[in-house]
Amino acid sequence: MLLRPILLSLCCALPICATPALADFEQTVSDHILPGYADFAAATQALSDEAAQNCKAEGLKPGFNAAYDAWLGVQHLRFGPAEADGHSVAIAFWPDPKGSGAKAQRGLLLGDPLQLTPAHFPDQSVAARGLTGLERLLYPAEPLPADPCDLIRATTLDLARIAHQINEAWLNGYAKTVLTAGAAGNTTYQTRPEVRQVMFTQIVAGLEFDKDQRLARPLGTFDKPRPERAEAVASGRSLRNVLLSLQALRAMVVTLTPDAPQTLAGFDRAITQAKSLNDPVFAGVATPGGRLKVEILQQAIAALDITVLAELGPELDVGIGFNAADGD
Amino acid sequence: MATRRAFLAGLASGLSAASLPRVSWAEVGSPAFLAAGKLGDDFVLHGLSAAGDSLFEIGLPARGHAAAAHPSQALAVAFARRPGTFALVLDCLTGVTRHRLTPPEGRQFNGHGAFSMDGSLLMTSEVVAEGSAGRIGLWETAAFTRIAEWDSHGIGPHDIRRLADGRIVVANGGIETDPGDRTKLNVDVMRPNLSLLSPEGALLDQVELEDALHQNSIRHLALLGDGVAFAMQWEGDPFEPVAQLGLWVPGAAPVLCPPPDDQAYAMKGYAGSIAVSSASDLIALTSAPAGVVMLFNGAGQWLATDQRADVSGAAAVGDDLRLTDGQGGVWGYGHAGLMPLSRNATLWDNHLIALA
Repeated sequence: MLLRPILLSLCCALPICATPALADFEQTVSDHILPGYADFAAATQALSDEAAQNCKAEGLKPGFNAAYDAWLGVQHLRFGPAEADGHSVAIAFWPDPKGSGAKAQRGLLLGDPLQLTPAHFPDQSVAARGLTGLERLLYPAEPLPADPCDLIRATTLDLARIAHQINEAWLNGYAKTVLTAGAAGNTTYQTRPEVRQVMFTQIVAGLEFDKDQRLARPLGTFDKPRPERAEAVASGRSLRNVLLSLQALRAMVVTLTPDAPQTLAGFDRAITQAKSLNDPVFAGVATPGGRLKVEILQQAIAALDITVLAELGPELDVGIGFNAADGD
Repeated sequence: MATRRAFLAGLASGLSAASLPRVSWAEVGSPAFLAAGKLGDDFVLHGLSAAGDSLFEIGLPARGHAAAAHPSQALAVAFARRPGTFALVLDCLTGVTRHRLTPPEGRQFNGHGAFSMDGSLLMTSEVVAEGSAGRIGLWETAAFTRIAEWDSHGIGPHDIRRLADGRIVVANGGIETDPGDRTKLNVDVMRPNLSLLSPEGALLDQVELEDALHQNSIRHLALLGDGVAFAMQWEGDPFEPVAQLGLWVPGAAPVLCPPPDDQAYAMKGYAGSIAVSSASDLIALTSAPAGVVMLFNGAGQWLATDQRADVSGAAAVGDDLRLTDGQGGVWGYGHAGLMPLSRNATLWDNHLIALA
């Protein structure tokens, strides 16, 4: 156990870093979490810089998609700085069953421009902000009630600010908090298994979000499919978000352990399924044949979830928390 | 009924006085809390000091949910998890099971109970197994004999609390469950309520939430001023932002206390335990599924959200709040956040029960 950090630091000085012999959460931090947040911070900064130059929707779409892609690389990490101050909710507010984002955003479009200044925009409704808010401005379903330019700039600036904050918080403190788990004085992680359990929980919750939200919402019921409830329909990203999420979760597993073959095989099956599904916004759920294909993907993720609980949990020597698994 | 009750109580207390010594809490180390948990493959009940140190440990035959502490004698009642077929009255000095309480035919314990102020009566939250209609079981505590039962005036009662004046607040969670397991049967039409009962069991007041919140199951209670703070578990769409905390002073409408909108999903719609420290004007609300605890002031205003994996138990001791987690940790909690106090090999289960 003592050798592990030393070997890891040697390993990372060499080009073999990508094929680890000794995976553990140190590697999850160095190879998955930190690069993921750095990418997200860079992508949102680039988008904000671009919007400052020119806020035309067409020109910003590639940058928007790059930022959204980067978010999918870390979106499943629902602990630490991303959860502080409700950041993750402000970055991507979905699902939004009451449509509160569109309502709040309309208020911003038509309201006092002062709300859009950097001093006040962070206090606006989380439902109106972030990637989901920006998507409504760049891919409007119907003409917007006012020129969105200032709101686009405010939203991209706010996204970049939040991404920067999360990245800095990891770099300047939280990474150390994780890496010193079990050390005297570490009150966040009293033991190393606590970190493994948190990491494991992110993977299970990430899969369940894909299965129970990203896929189950548009599936609705057989009698009442709800394709309009899919995520990021306007930008055509619904399936892409599932695929990128699965790929990010798989990458996280690889950093945690070299020894979860059934889990990785399960990820590969689900990823293959997602790649072969020719239905970018799950519009097919409205037809029996199209629905079946989305259900097959959902079943692949459900099976993977079971494999993760049965194989990855024991491999990491953790499970879902005693109380979290079975409350009352 | 009164005659029979008095007769039984007299008979029973006569027996216990003759055969069993009364042990005070001081004789078992003056615990501040009771907490159930899991130790290896075994289930146990601990008495904990205010600093989180274990003062005694008693084996349980199965996983416990909550406990009730006799106000003066070192007796703990450990309730089985739902659907509860038994509760045990444990002698906290010897660890011996003094009595095994079995609900009457067709009734099930629902996880919580409370003693009357003088300790002469134990009230247990129960359901009629078929249909989950709520009952409050009454047991005299000399021999722990069942003497009566009251209507809880709702479906699926969970927590019950006794106000200082002897009136009783019941959280009728509203959920009908399958008698054989915990499958929820009525989520679409559930309708939880808070009911206030007189010391004799008469319904004095009752409030429901607004229609849009009929799926917010009111499950746990803590005394606050002249009323209660209540904790809810949302059974509706997990992405509808609803409050998990409410305050109720009987005679008035309940007041819901949502956190700011960027915190609306932090609890994952689930509050597991609630504790109030009146002295420091703080309320703590835990969510194990989310791994967070929220801090509110006594008026229900959100103050902070703190992360801790599997945090669940919450109770107050004087000015301070205490939390327990599923890793065996006992924590102090307040404006300064989480402060580690102790770590036990026992993994702490849902609730931390303060001794009166």
